[in-house]
Amino acid sequence: MSTILTHIAITDGKIKRSSLEVLSHCKTIGDASGASVEAVVVDAKASSFVEGIQKYGAAKVHVVEDPIFKNHMNAPLLKALSKVMSDVHPSVFAFASTEGTKDVLGALAANQDAAVIADVSSFELSDGGVTAKRPVMAAKIMNTTVAKSDKVLVSVRSGSYDLNESPTTAEVVNVDFSMDDSELKATLREIISASGDTIDLNEAEAIVSAGRGVKDEEGKALIAELASLLNAGIGASRALTESGVYDPSLQIGQTGKVVSPQLYIAVGISGAIQHVAGMSNSKVIVAINKDPDAPIFEVADYGIVGDLYKILPPFIEEIKKIKS
Amino acid sequence: MVPDVYAPIQIKDGELIMDGDRMVLNAYDASAVEEALVLSEKHGGEVEVVCIGPAKASETIRKALAMGADRATHILATGEEEFDSASYAKILSAFFKDKEYDVIGLGKQSQDTDSGLAGSMVAEHLNLPYTTNAVGLEFEGDKLIVKRQGDTGQEMIELPTPCAVTCSNDMNDPRIPNLKGIMASKRKPIDQVEISSLGIDEGSLKADTTVTSYEEKPARQAGKKYEGEAEEIARQVAQFLDTEANVL
Repeated sequence: MSTILTHIAITDGKIKRSSLEVLSHCKTIGDASGASVEAVVVDAKASSFVEGIQKYGAAKVHVVEDPIFKNHMNAPLLKALSKVMSDVHPSVFAFASTEGTKDVLGALAANQDAAVIADVSSFELSDGGVTAKRPVMAAKIMNTTVAKSDKVLVSVRSGSYDLNESPTTAEVVNVDFSMDDSELKATLREIISASGDTIDLNEAEAIVSAGRGVKDEEGKALIAELASLLNAGIGASRALTESGVYDPSLQIGQTGKVVSPQLYIAVGISGAIQHVAGMSNSKVIVAINKDPDAPIFEVADYGIVGDLYKILPPFIEEIKKIKS
Repeated sequence: MVPDVYAPIQIKDGELIMDGDRMVLNAYDASAVEEALVLSEKHGGEVEVVCIGPAKASETIRKALAMGADRATHILATGEEEFDSASYAKILSAFFKDKEYDVIGLGKQSQDTDSGLAGSMVAEHLNLPYTTNAVGLEFEGDKLIVKRQGDTGQEMIELPTPCAVTCSNDMNDPRIPNLKGIMASKRKPIDQVEISSLGIDEGSLKADTTVTSYEEKPARQAGKKYEGEAEEIARQVAQFLDTEANVL
């Protein structure tokens, strides 16, 4: 029987929701094809996540636990994933597309001589491999990519699939793992984290995103107030991360994060194609911009033409009223 | 060299048709070239660029030379091969196998397909320390200090040389070649190399992945635009988010 394996990513001590989205989809296609659906979790506290994983229907959870995985480093992660692949021989190994995954996906494919399709928005099993759809050309075009191989790696954009619980009692397989410092190759000196309790943009139900129109502390305060009111993550256009107004990890777009929340509020963002590539899959888009011809209005469900400094205060007040 | 993603694109019978076949230097590769130039200006050393592509890729190579790279290698492809990331990574690895270098800099992805696979594949084939999505590079002695944009923050990573790094376009603004650079680029050497001379089993270059068709992405319909008195339209849209869109 063939095996479909899903990698469960852990960041900040939590399971990435996007990994569970991928596992939910793997469970669906696994059940339909009769394949065994399994998961692998690699973390310093990997075993503590088994319970959260079996809710989504993995028949086996491969646990690779070692203190070395406290922070992301590619050499140990690559070694762990290669070992699990060699042990399990999955026909499909699926990942959520995160910066951590992107760091090792190509290397893992090369190491295991596997076919690989990165950053897809959907995939299915097909004759002799996997067929996937992926956005290309700055997300203006979708292509269909077919991988023919008995081992296919695939990474999936967040928000591509719904979560779907189907609780099982998973068999837990503890994977032997050890690594000498000499194998590390690189040294992680430090991590400069984005400030405090920011909400992970890939997981956020709502995102308030700031662009060039947000000019000063007053503008930032309005963004923060609206975000806190909606329990939303804060994002930014490249112009504002590059000029240091917002942390680089908050950049949304082709080169930053690709997001798909239920509600995306673009404030003072003109809507350059690179930005739209990162947010056009949001369910509902609201745009606030004083230029009525700004391209952001072409993708917005609700476009408010006006100065954000005049629009946001009553907008916030009205939402407060609705919420109370 | 990649197609210019900002040029008009059409799809006909599942095939991609690019306006005038405009090809450009991949923006992420341009950032890798820029960073290599900055490092060599500071610490000495030579910047060599390597490009796999058909004859017309020489224009892209000249652009990198005009920016200031010292020399170039053009690995000739016909443009008809059906290569995927893995094929390109194998060709590059075969090229680098017997070369001496401190750092192999690559773009983190190509701006047409956004796969982001070839860099770490090359590092794996060559068994090099590497990192991806770099937003800053600095030398400390013979160590390369990389600032990497990770999932939760920026990681400061120390790599011994030789190593490989894939570069984000958030690293720098690539310089625009000036006239002097353009003139100088015409005298700089471009070595031409045939893929068949690199000692690769040609069968191993056969792509495992194939793009079978292209389609337009279903465009989002523009919704309603509200213009008028700020207070009124702001409150109106807030109401609709609750009653109509049901997202509050």
